[in-house]
Amino acid sequence: MAEFLNILAIGLLLGGIYALVSVGLNLIFGVIRVVNFAQGEFVMLGMYGAFAAQTALRLDPYLAPVLVVPALFLLGCAVYWVLLRPLQGEPMMQVFATFGLLMVLENSVLAVTRGVSFSVGSVLSDTTIAIGPVQMPLARIIVLAAATVVAAGLGWWLRATMPGKAIRAVAQDRKAARLMGIPVERMYMVTFGVGAALAGLAGCLLSPLYSMSPQIGMNFIMPAFAVVVLGGLGSVRGAYVGGFIVGLTEALAGFYLDPALKHAVLFMVFIAVLIIRPSGLFGVAGAEEVGLREQS
Amino acid sequence: MKLTRRQFGGVVAGAAMMAGTRGSFAQGGPIKIGAINPYSGAMAQYGDEVTRCYELAADWVNGQGGVLGRQIQIVRGNATSAQEGIAAIEQLVGRDKVDILAGTYVTAISNAASESALNYGKLYWETNALARDLTDRGLPNFVRSGPSSNEFASRAVEGALKIVAAKLGKQPKDLKAWVEHEDSAYGTSIATEQQRLLKEAGVGFGVGSHSARAIDVTDSILRAKNAAPDIWISTAYVVDTNLLLRAARDQGFKPAAMMLCGVGDTKETLEALGKEYLEGIFVVSYPRPDVSEKYGPGAGAFLKLYRDKLGRDPIAPQGMNAFVGMKMLFEAVKAAGGVDYEKVVKAAAAMDKPLGTYETGYGAKFDAKMQNTRALPVVAQWQGGLVKAVFPTEAAAEGVAVVNLPRA
Repeated sequence: MAEFLNILAIGLLLGGIYALVSVGLNLIFGVIRVVNFAQGEFVMLGMYGAFAAQTALRLDPYLAPVLVVPALFLLGCAVYWVLLRPLQGEPMMQVFATFGLLMVLENSVLAVTRGVSFSVGSVLSDTTIAIGPVQMPLARIIVLAAATVVAAGLGWWLRATMPGKAIRAVAQDRKAARLMGIPVERMYMVTFGVGAALAGLAGCLLSPLYSMSPQIGMNFIMPAFAVVVLGGLGSVRGAYVGGFIVGLTEALAGFYLDPALKHAVLFMVFIAVLIIRPSGLFGVAGAEEVGLREQS
Repeated sequence: MKLTRRQFGGVVAGAAMMAGTRGSFAQGGPIKIGAINPYSGAMAQYGDEVTRCYELAADWVNGQGGVLGRQIQIVRGNATSAQEGIAAIEQLVGRDKVDILAGTYVTAISNAASESALNYGKLYWETNALARDLTDRGLPNFVRSGPSSNEFASRAVEGALKIVAAKLGKQPKDLKAWVEHEDSAYGTSIATEQQRLLKEAGVGFGVGSHSARAIDVTDSILRAKNAAPDIWISTAYVVDTNLLLRAARDQGFKPAAMMLCGVGDTKETLEALGKEYLEGIFVVSYPRPDVSEKYGPGAGAFLKLYRDKLGRDPIAPQGMNAFVGMKMLFEAVKAAGGVDYEKVVKAAAAMDKPLGTYETGYGAKFDAKMQNTRALPVVAQWQGGLVKAVFPTEAAAEGVAVVNLPRA
């Protein structure tokens, strides 16, 4: 029983990591309808941002979001305006463009770091909290808490604020939103910026957990795609819950079956969920309401 | 302009004469060695280090009059993948007219590049790539001067038996090991050989594998923890090694001994885990300049050469292994009287130098597949933030002994 509880805790904490990484990805997908392959690279940039902040300013990685999140927001806005906006109406080209961006960001960081991996430390990162037989690293608890706050905050922002409502309106029907006077292009830009900023936040909070390498973004992005499809495209709640499903599946399969099989099991669950519920757990059937309808 | 048949014949004859002149000039010119390594991308740091030490060996031998009266010139060929390895060979042979090819930090690149070198009739002198398969192919132009993955595996098991079991006062049959590895060919090949050797020694063991790209490896650590081994032996890359050690620390997994194979001995791991946690962790590694002069005569001189030229200490243990490999190549070329690959391979096959001949403690005796059987890694240990050789005992510098075993 103690063993099971420990694995359960590990799975939930891992779910927090996936949820935090996936929320921004799902927001971008749901609103702009772009599968952003470079989302993992934004996480990677967030990690290196935390490293730079610690090296240059001696800033703890948990304080680095103060600088990194606005920087990633601006980068996201710039990427949308320069790269994706001119490709509107060419959804496949937009996907390829984000893949190109992935390669540019990864190789640029490679060129600067020459492949050397870096680590950042925090006073909190070496602490483990033990509850009976369950060992929980504090750094992972912080990520789980952040994922919860971000998912709740983003959900509230989209529901209760004017910019959030505008984003939802654009996601539901771009043409109608434009007729209502919503600046569609600006909302897309803001959405992409927020998605990138959330990835930057994830990068900062994950930096004490990993030795960072320029390729680390790719490690996050594949499970993150599974999370957003499982949870439901465009659904913040789906990304949050999907993260835990993926985390728990990986932890349980990895421990009780074989770590080498955990991804096979995860994608079996993934396929099963899609067969039973094609729109994902929290997606809307047909996904028209979250922006998957062909729009002009 | 229109050429007559006679004019065309004259141009061809002239070109042939010039080519002949160039060929005879090349005989008196430098011996060019094409160094295939990754100089960009994720593996650039170590690719650079390996070639820097080739260049150091070239400087050293040139200072002594060169080889066969000719200077040695290292020409770099960048390859970050197998495909680029083939392209680099074409460029080095076609454009740079190299006489010999050498490498490589990465097995996949070595595999493709050495086959391509054979197409051009060139020797491929391997110093650093590890996979046993490279020599098992029996490629006629291929020689490996450094240890293979099998030597890393056998040194790890030797360390488990002669250091850990001995210190714990256990017979091999009472020792419990856990063999953890990343699941690509690199980790799997070393782990498979470790399992064979452990079984042969009568040691009980469990096995775990993980993806080097995994976001979380706590499940792997908990499986190992459940098995309660005396020694945990891991073969992985830098990033997942650091992740495994972090998970072990977080989960309170503290076997009597932890041993890392091939990586985990650089600043990257030190920065990730800190010297207090690493204290006492073993690393199976290429011999470093800290080995005793008795074990590796000239190791101190190598360090001085390196510091004089580069103004700092070596960044990775691969360097001295590359330096020694290049020295062996010079000796083989000298004995062969030229750079023809068949003659150099034959000369290398005739080498018979005892262990303790070179800076790394290596000797030179090649088996039928041209694997140097006297190139052996050492077992080192993290001590006070530094990695120090502790096994074989004669490799340990004066005053260095095994510490923190069992791990506190």
